[in-house]
Amino acid sequence: MTRVLVTGATTGIGTALLQRLFARPNVEHILAVGIEERPSALPPDSDRFTYVVCDLTRSRQMRQLIFGPARTLGIHVVVHSALHRSALDTGKHIHALNVECTRELLRLIERHPTIERFVYRSVAEVYRLDHDLPNLIGEDHPLELSSRAPQWVRDRVEGDLTVCTQMGMSSVSIVVLRCAEILMPEVGSQLWDYLRSAVCLRPIGFDPMINVLSVPDAVRAIERALTCRVQGVFNIPGCDTLPLSRITKNWGRRDIPLPGPLLSPAYRLRTRTIGTEFRYDLNLTRFHFSGVLDGTRARDKLHYEPQHSVQWRKAAS
Amino acid sequence: MPRLDPNDIKFRDAGHGYDIFGLNPRTVAAATRIAGLLYDHYFRVTSHGAHHIPAGGSAILAANHSGTLPLDAAMLYIDVLTHTDPPRVPRALLDVFVPRFPFVGAFFARVGGVGGTRRNCRRLLQDGELIMVFPEGAPGIAKTFNHRYELQPWRVGHAELAIEYRVPVIPVAIIGAEEQWPLIARIDRFKVFGAPYLPIPATPLPLPAHYHIHYGEPIALHEDYSRPDPDDPEIVAAAAARVESAVQVLIERGLRERKGIFR
Repeated sequence: MTRVLVTGATTGIGTALLQRLFARPNVEHILAVGIEERPSALPPDSDRFTYVVCDLTRSRQMRQLIFGPARTLGIHVVVHSALHRSALDTGKHIHALNVECTRELLRLIERHPTIERFVYRSVAEVYRLDHDLPNLIGEDHPLELSSRAPQWVRDRVEGDLTVCTQMGMSSVSIVVLRCAEILMPEVGSQLWDYLRSAVCLRPIGFDPMINVLSVPDAVRAIERALTCRVQGVFNIPGCDTLPLSRITKNWGRRDIPLPGPLLSPAYRLRTRTIGTEFRYDLNLTRFHFSGVLDGTRARDKLHYEPQHSVQWRKAAS
Repeated sequence: MPRLDPNDIKFRDAGHGYDIFGLNPRTVAAATRIAGLLYDHYFRVTSHGAHHIPAGGSAILAANHSGTLPLDAAMLYIDVLTHTDPPRVPRALLDVFVPRFPFVGAFFARVGGVGGTRRNCRRLLQDGELIMVFPEGAPGIAKTFNHRYELQPWRVGHAELAIEYRVPVIPVAIIGAEEQWPLIARIDRFKVFGAPYLPIPATPLPLPAHYHIHYGEPIALHEDYSRPDPDDPEIVAAAAARVESAVQVLIERGLRERKGIFR
């Protein structure tokens, strides 16, 4: 069927996707790319699977990847899911991975002889949430372009827009999947980091609705994007839409509402003392106002509908 | 009013007992039990023409708005729940500042309130919901006592939606709310959480005015206008004016028929 290159192979979602693709006999070859040494969860190198260590922020290494193994293997589709995971890190190097490498990758695959399709895994956090905006988020919803937004968000918005600007201009067919939050480690999920504490604080008087995507559904959505011929931007919601307090409860954590102004210092203090990755400033609006992805377009064009609920107890443990 | 069983309330469960906007039948039932006391014993609501509320399918209830605090919306909400079988939760379209209020925004979401944005409305109508809208908006509730039962500038969004999504509009007149808590002044500079003003009512608590809720015959705007018509501002304004005049007629009838403010 196809030959696929997957970046971000060592992320939780990247690993799950690779395992799924490897199990499909009609995927001829998978070229997995990660910056770390091969994780044990990935299959060994074979005539169907190759793992390559590559620092995508290095232009030379990326060029060697695209015009080396990717050309030799005749790759058809690139799934780009490499994003810096830590919300605490900032700076040029982080920007280089989140944005510049995407730009460079798009530039290189334009000249590649066999790559026909580019699938970019974006995130729902690119959307702006506010009291006067719809709770139901369509693909045309305003993006978080505020200059006050943290780099973690700004990079994701810029990366997303970098890909979107090539849509229709490039010879490569492009799909952007704006995925709801995936509750798993190693994907940069802020909700996951939030739920790692035994006590979860939230602003008193607010209990927004949050949509969560399960790993099997995220993998299915990417699979659909690989095989469909359409291009465009698609929201990928999950099966589970529930209030924040209910998420905390399902996770077996203690939910404590506090006055909003106390939360920023409380979480900053916790980050400094315990070292958790959760940043309240990143989630400020999300913890006040509901934002649920509208998956109508994905249903109509990609034939994707969420089917798998999050296994709360299993995921929490 | 009869006790509401949460299991009787039909809603689109998004997986955990809530719909995507946050509606939770248990909260609806609990809130209705409390507000039902006001409905039955304080405001002693009398309903007229409730058979016009559709038992199923999308529709828009368009009502006049008054009363300093939106108690008229609460009474209409309970009246619809009481007079539909199975009980239909009317989805009130909220002003944009409401979600900013701690507790209030969250509570309204649990009982079916939805931010009045176009995308939210579209989803509600596509899902076959009954929308409750007050086309006068905040100016209706903010008018002072000397302007009672004078409709404020009538917004047109409901007519646009009705034509676009081919749904009927049910005009509703709420009589009694204008006298429940007379507003003598308002401080427009006081804007906590984005609220448009601070009301200064004449009495410390609402008065036990006798509510009468009158439902008119459904107006099938979609039968007189075609799908592209919502793009024409003049057509939309004319359609909204039809709804407005239907509400005005109901108000006049309600005022004529009632025996007194408190009786």
